[in-house]
Amino acid sequence: MAITINAKTSGAGGLETTADNTGNINIQSGGSTVMSVTSSGVAITGALSQNGGAYSTQPTFRNLIINGDMRIDQRNAGASVSVSSSTPYTLDRWKAFNNGGAVFLVQQNLNSITPPEGFTNYLGVSVTTSDTPSGTETHVIRQQIEGNNISHLNWGTANAKTITISFWVRSSLTGTFGGTLKNGPDATYPYTYTIDSANTWEYKTITITGATSNTWNTDNSTGIFAQWSLGSGSSVLGTPGAWNYSANLNGATGETVVVGTSGATFYITGVQLEVGSTATDFENLPYDVQLQRCQRYFQVIADGRVSINAPICMVVSQSTTVLHGLVHFPTPMRTIPTLVTTVTSYRANLGASNGNSTTNPTLDTIISTISARIDQSGFSGLGADSAGLVRINSETNYVAFQAEL
Amino acid sequence: MYKLVNNKETNQLVSITKDNSSGEILSIPVHPANTDYIQYLEWVAEGNTPEPADEV
Repeated sequence: MAITINAKTSGAGGLETTADNTGNINIQSGGSTVMSVTSSGVAITGALSQNGGAYSTQPTFRNLIINGDMRIDQRNAGASVSVSSSTPYTLDRWKAFNNGGAVFLVQQNLNSITPPEGFTNYLGVSVTTSDTPSGTETHVIRQQIEGNNISHLNWGTANAKTITISFWVRSSLTGTFGGTLKNGPDATYPYTYTIDSANTWEYKTITITGATSNTWNTDNSTGIFAQWSLGSGSSVLGTPGAWNYSANLNGATGETVVVGTSGATFYITGVQLEVGSTATDFENLPYDVQLQRCQRYFQVIADGRVSINAPICMVVSQSTTVLHGLVHFPTPMRTIPTLVTTVTSYRANLGASNGNSTTNPTLDTIISTISARIDQSGFSGLGADSAGLVRINSETNYVAFQAEL
Repeated sequence: MYKLVNNKETNQLVSITKDNSSGEILSIPVHPANTDYIQYLEWVAEGNTPEPADEV
């Protein structure tokens, strides 16, 4: 019971009130309660709005998937990656895994189709060489979620939290498709979803009860492998809809083999993995925030695609041919990173002397997650003990650091 | 293919270079949490041998 204040919607309308001594108040519209006030708080039934827009009570940074809207592509800048018996990174944080016989392309905005409403980018797959996977052959698109970001799930304990995956997907094929969540060595949840119409974006949600067993890393190593299968061999397929605590699997029994059809396409975007049994709207982060999250794992520090003269770092010459430089990372990295270069020509500007080199820089042992010394040789005619900078001297190339999982 | 890189003064191993044949040249630190170094160790464990470092 409660005091009620009802705005009538019948007859001549008007305000109707009733009273009691419970200390509770119900505010009603047409006899339906939309707000209840009790000694324990206020409960709202229906939608909340603020300044004309929806008022969200969803927590920020709830999406455990980074770059789920496929906007960031630092390595390839929209170019395609051919995946043949390899495990390349494609769009930021998205890895393709292929130890089978198929060959497929992965590309941001492949074939330039119209993304789902609210998105501008997607990850596209196109099969160029088909294969019928057998044994442990695996073809997947995956994101490895860092353990530091899953500790609140309590996985591996009796208090494991339920999660929900949501995403937009489109394929030239229809039927039951598969994927898995796994810890890597010995705990897997195969899941399935259905694509009903060919070449049509469809929204999918999958709710998964938290894993109550096995070990789930909560440090800077991989916590969860989230995988979308393109077709795998029977030895790595499992029964969907239940945890298997003694297997490392990559797909679901009965799944459609995308790589089995030459020319087949598979597109995905708006990927979200969040706590709870209900999918919420995709969490749109500002571009710079999303980029910064990606940079923990891969960051371009000099991009010839943006500027042919892109500087790499300040340097000092050890001799007329050798430089030492110090790079400070704009975002701290997950662990001690690898130096990645695609550059074929460099130029040093040291005071009054300049010089070119086609020798790539290498790392020294003076390195951390926030900075690194690099060494570079192959120059000529540099002034000894001179300070200056080294820069890219070729367009379409970059220098980067990676600390991928 | 992997190639060892030694410090030119101390001749101690400081990093490992890899040409991954996709246009990327990697300089990999000798660090157990680096994924590229872990993959290098797995490659060595399979019986492979890197190119030696250049003579100092």
